[in-house]
Amino acid sequence: MSGTLKVTTLQDGASSTANLTFDANGNTTAGGTLAMSSSFLRNRIINGNMTIDQRNAGASVTPTDGQYLVDRWVASLTAASKYTAQQGTLTPSSTNGYNSNSLNITSSSAYSISSSDIFAISQKVEGFNFYDMGWGTASAKTVTLSFWVYSSLTGTFGGCFVNSAQTRAYPFTYTISSANTWTSISVTVPGDTSGTWVGATNGIGVRVFWSLGVGSTYSTTANAWAAGTYFAPTGATSVVGTSGATFYITGVQLEVGTKATPFEQRLYGTELVLCQRYYFALSAAIYGAINTYPSSAQQLASDLWWPVTMRTAPTVAATGTQAINSIGLTTQNKTSVLQTVNNGGIAGISTATASAEL
Amino acid sequence: MYTNAQYIAFNGVNTSIRVDINGVTSFVPLDPANTDYANIMQLVAEGKLTIAPAEGAQQ
Repeated sequence: MSGTLKVTTLQDGASSTANLTFDANGNTTAGGTLAMSSSFLRNRIINGNMTIDQRNAGASVTPTDGQYLVDRWVASLTAASKYTAQQGTLTPSSTNGYNSNSLNITSSSAYSISSSDIFAISQKVEGFNFYDMGWGTASAKTVTLSFWVYSSLTGTFGGCFVNSAQTRAYPFTYTISSANTWTSISVTVPGDTSGTWVGATNGIGVRVFWSLGVGSTYSTTANAWAAGTYFAPTGATSVVGTSGATFYITGVQLEVGTKATPFEQRLYGTELVLCQRYYFALSAAIYGAINTYPSSAQQLASDLWWPVTMRTAPTVAATGTQAINSIGLTTQNKTSVLQTVNNGGIAGISTATASAEL
Repeated sequence: MYTNAQYIAFNGVNTSIRVDINGVTSFVPLDPANTDYANIMQLVAEGKLTIAPAEGAQQ
């Protein structure tokens, strides 16, 4: 049967109340528990709408390889100064109103990529947030990746799903038909039943790349799992190949199943805390961990606690109101900052960052 | 880019590595899951980086 079935309720024969009730405004009410094969809080990508930018606060950067652009989004590059990156601001109507920010890439030159070049952005999803996909087993689940993209270029673009060891790859393609127009993309990927995936650990559960220009050595056939180190499908558009070319992305969602659902809008505080599991930047100087005005120079320690348990013990960099001698034992929860406080000085931490990125 | 690496010790036990990462003095815990620590150990294994012993440690 096809067409439209017009009813106001659906009810099991043994039930005393309607299972589903429909109204004239398009609303649906479930009479009992609504069980789905996927859950709410289904997006495995963090900062998919590029709202959190602790490192750069919206400033443009010319990244080095491995540099973070906005929180959780990292640059890959094999030659310096071929593109810049910056958090962008969107108007509500740009992408169905779901996203306030974007990650904006701009090509700095017309660079001809060599066979071994890699230019890309990616996100590494922690194993604890992806193990239930069962990749590497016979029960591997299909996932769907969706995002909004905007480019001055048109054509076939590419990306790739990669495991932690970079020995398994699923390159995918997508098409941008209209230049300078936000376009909604959805890519469905069958789960990998082979290879080694880290499972429920704090390692890299899966890494998703978006190619900005990848050479032939690291490109292979699209839409199939491959054994080897690949980051893009063969023939994908090179953004770094055109001077001034733009590539903007937002609304990135990775979820179980074959259908892309509307972008999951998380509260700002929730998204910030999710990011701070991997990176934390002290927003302002703090004092009072030690209230002392020593009559002579003393070495003092003050504890700096992270706002959330980090993925692993982080790398710490800090400056203080007094010279910082060293950072003491660092854990997933805190570190100790050792300062020599001079006569009449006040111990304080001026700046601090903690990185536990994958 | 990792340069000027040195162990930091408390009570004679190494607890972290002080190292300049792209010119920023940073402290890296001795945790294999820490990406910087893993990178440093790989550089050491490849002979591209040496970690000086902690101050006061016996050579």
